[in-house]
Amino acid sequence: MAKKDSSVKKIVVYSLVVLIAIYSFFPIYWMFISSFRAYRALFSSNSLIPGPFSLKSYENLLSLTKYLINFKNSVWVACITTVITLICSILMSYVITRYQIRGKQFILNSMLFTYMFPPLLLAVPLYFIFTKMGFTDTLWGLIVAHTTITLPLGVWLLWGFFKAMPFELEEAAMVDGASRIKAFFLVVLPLSLPGILTVAIFSFLLSWTDYTFGLIIISSDINKTLPVGLATMLGAHDLNWGEIMAGAFLITVPLLLILTFLSRYFVKGLTAGAMKG
Amino acid sequence: MRIKDKHIIIPFLTPGILITFFFIVVPLFLAIRFSFYHMESYISPPKFVGLENYFRLFQEPAFWNALKNGFIYCLLSIALQVFFGIGIALILNEAFKGKAFIRGLTLLPYILPTVVVALTWQWMLDGNIGIITHAADKLGFGKVNWLETPTLAMLTVIVVSVWTWTPFVTTCFLAALQTIPLDLTDAAKVDGTTSWQRFIYITLPILKPILVIIILLRGIWMFNKFDIIWIMTKGGPLGATEHFPILTYQKAFQTYDIGGGTTVATISFLILLIIVLIYLKIFPVEK
Repeated sequence: MAKKDSSVKKIVVYSLVVLIAIYSFFPIYWMFISSFRAYRALFSSNSLIPGPFSLKSYENLLSLTKYLINFKNSVWVACITTVITLICSILMSYVITRYQIRGKQFILNSMLFTYMFPPLLLAVPLYFIFTKMGFTDTLWGLIVAHTTITLPLGVWLLWGFFKAMPFELEEAAMVDGASRIKAFFLVVLPLSLPGILTVAIFSFLLSWTDYTFGLIIISSDINKTLPVGLATMLGAHDLNWGEIMAGAFLITVPLLLILTFLSRYFVKGLTAGAMKG
Repeated sequence: MRIKDKHIIIPFLTPGILITFFFIVVPLFLAIRFSFYHMESYISPPKFVGLENYFRLFQEPAFWNALKNGFIYCLLSIALQVFFGIGIALILNEAFKGKAFIRGLTLLPYILPTVVVALTWQWMLDGNIGIITHAADKLGFGKVNWLETPTLAMLTVIVVSVWTWTPFVTTCFLAALQTIPLDLTDAAKVDGTTSWQRFIYITLPILKPILVIIILLRGIWMFNKFDIIWIMTKGGPLGATEHFPILTYQKAFQTYDIGGGTTVATISFLILLIIVLIYLKIFPVEK
């Protein structure tokens, strides 16, 4: 009786798991096979099996649009945003955890507070400031805008990380004659690599996937990042869905690589609320 | 020992503080300030008008429409995300082969860029040849115009939002499920409880604190969500999916009513703040 019960349960669990897998993965699968499907079949066939195979969508995307330039912009913006975020948030959270500073709680609270900001409440005045500075329609403007999201996040995550790290380690190094700076670089930084990596991953992700700030700050085609570039291609060019899906898939590739190779850090940051979305 | 080497404090703090001050704090105050001004472009001199923007806004039907739509979108999509998130987490917590792989798979919708999510679903929902339209047609619903019928457009946007943001709830809940001591559920099993009883009387009470935070975070983010709706419907058809963020964008960057746009954003922020404070009063978050 008990055995029969458990095998029924097993069947139920497995079929639910399959259902969940299909539900989660089907749209991604559909995007993938649409991008490789020959032009004619794309509009006449709804076959769930891939094919007829063609690279035409990718060729068109890369030759007819500014996709490659957009790709380069995205890589640049995401990398610089990540570097700035790392430098500022590592230094800030280290000092906050290791010294008694007036207004420490205020800094931490305001970092958490920015979680609640409607992005557009920030975007409108930022655009105004950028107009005064000549930063509109520049990649630097976009980098600064992305940093307003990633920096509070980085400080918040690393604060928790540094706080949990015992002071004794760096103090031991300092007793041995190392300066505070030396102890910081040689002891603290190497030990906090997992935390730093988590912040790096999420800064990159947030910047790479951002649409809202890109839409507002960038206006010319050659300065657009991938998400904004792709979304405007839909209306502006004489493109078909195959090319759009090809573009969508290429944006996704770096994220799939991150998820595959760095999933441990990824889940850790995720449960700490690092995506803001 | 810890007090020594104070000279690093200032140089370490300065870069972060400067960015925070000039690009987060100053803009926040500017935004609130702009809501008391009349501005027709980002370069023309602002004119002080007091509370006029607010009075004008309260008389616009678009404002009340956006308020209503915002709540419908936010409440429905959170409820569904939490419901499906917990359900999926409970199933994935059972024993089955390939667990790590399946968990990774269910995370995918969450890490996709919103643009990719929106465009992929738009392709699947295409009025003529989309795969979902095709399936609905085969099932006898005819060729449905998902995003061009007001009520349906709102439901479609909610479904797509639920699809992409549920994994956050699943992942957090799944992580929390691992913290429940096994002997607790085992003891309850010996006592002859059903799995439903164990869920209601053991799992939920233990996970209530984490659930309170999950709902709070999802609520804040869904309330402010802009990109997915903008890409899929631009707030249409006929304002059916227009909520505060969309209205802010349209005013601030399309009709260049910058005072009006910042007024919408400020009101939206205040409403969210009040709701969050009430929520925290009812469900205090333990440190």
